[in-house]
Amino acid sequence: MFKIRLEQFEGPLDLLLFFIKRDELNIYDIPISQITKEYMEYVNLIKMLDLETAGDFIFMASTLMYIKVKMLLPKEIDEKGELIDPRADLVKALLEYKRYKEMAEELSFFESAERKISYRGNFEEDLKETPEEFDTLLKNISVYDLAKAFKKALEERKSEPVHHVVKISVSIEEQIKFIMDKVNEFGEIHFLSMIDQVREKIRIIVTFVALLELVKMQMIGVKTSEDLNDFVIYKIDIEL
Amino acid sequence: MDKIYNYVVEALIFSSDEPLRHSEIIKAIRGIDGEEIEISEGDVEKCVDELNAIYEEKNLSFRIKKVSEGVLFATREEFSKYLGYLSSEKSKRRLSQASLETLSIIAYKQPLTKPELEAIRGVNSDYILTALLEKKLITISGRAETVGRPLLYSTTPEFLKYFGLYKISDLPKPREIEEIMQDEDFIEQRRKIMMNLFEEKMEEELNESTGETNDGNSQAE
Repeated sequence: MFKIRLEQFEGPLDLLLFFIKRDELNIYDIPISQITKEYMEYVNLIKMLDLETAGDFIFMASTLMYIKVKMLLPKEIDEKGELIDPRADLVKALLEYKRYKEMAEELSFFESAERKISYRGNFEEDLKETPEEFDTLLKNISVYDLAKAFKKALEERKSEPVHHVVKISVSIEEQIKFIMDKVNEFGEIHFLSMIDQVREKIRIIVTFVALLELVKMQMIGVKTSEDLNDFVIYKIDIEL
Repeated sequence: MDKIYNYVVEALIFSSDEPLRHSEIIKAIRGIDGEEIEISEGDVEKCVDELNAIYEEKNLSFRIKKVSEGVLFATREEFSKYLGYLSSEKSKRRLSQASLETLSIIAYKQPLTKPELEAIRGVNSDYILTALLEKKLITISGRAETVGRPLLYSTTPEFLKYFGLYKISDLPKPREIEEIMQDEDFIEQRRKIMMNLFEEKMEEELNESTGETNDGNSQAE
């Protein structure tokens, strides 16, 4: 009975390091022919099982073969007058990767230690909010979150069945009014539900720009919602 | 700093569910009792140490931990099992090897672009970057000045908290290449020696339990 156990390799460099360690090769003097052969055996095996992962490995396969060929040719000389070892770049890449692989292990120890403790937490949300600084208008939200919600909004548009090129005039001022109307009516509103009725993509884009303007003017604030693909807009009361 | 503030500091830290910066503590005290109050970050630091010493002396189950550029109450490791029983959060899956490798590269080389990251890892990193952004362990911190103005990635305060670090410089320094190479052999040799010692000890114990009168034999081992 054959039992195949494939190790999980993080990528071609990881696989090469494995061969170097297993066969006790000298990393500064890698036998290219031997290692290429072993590498190709593994790649052919994973190609049969998982073509997608194999893709990452194929580029390295071609690199190894290129180095192998270069080793057969007379070595070139660099500006200093020294022979260039075609393996040099590969060795450098392997050692660099190995460094960070070790660091990953260190991090894993830190992770384990942290899991053993529990912090003071799980408090209720603080309802008394007084935004004093500009930063607090963007609560726990990053550029990435805004971009994600915006992308989702655009994607969910069903396209018009009849393709009719029409110039849609829509201005930022218009959309500023639109947002403020919504926010005055509801106090707080989710971005996606606010633009639910908006048909044209260009209008959504202008609405988003208007939203950013309003945040800049400190007339509205933005915070995270339970749905990670959305965010909440709320009105800022201006004290006179 | 007036000794009375020891308790105020303790109360402030107690009421916080996020790492509390020394500056915030000072701000609160000065905000209430006046700007002229004499208190420095060094004072706060000393106060935290004194509190921890008291907890240590009284064998309490918690300590004030320095994490993510602030301080926060935390339980001691010894109680992890019991806490784990009641909280489902702890059973969250750990980070994958790919995540850890990517994080370690970003942590040391930040800010870093995707091409730079991929050059070190040797694999496509689109998915892993999105996943780590989602977990808020990394963030986009700007754009590089080079052609194409690619995005730059850096670690976040959540990263520090996740790994229990106070600041980024608390990470161990990545070893020099030479060290790593030599160490590989050293570890192997040491392992073999430890194995031998272990086997010897096993045999010794075996002999002692079976042949108590044969002192001569055990000596020879």
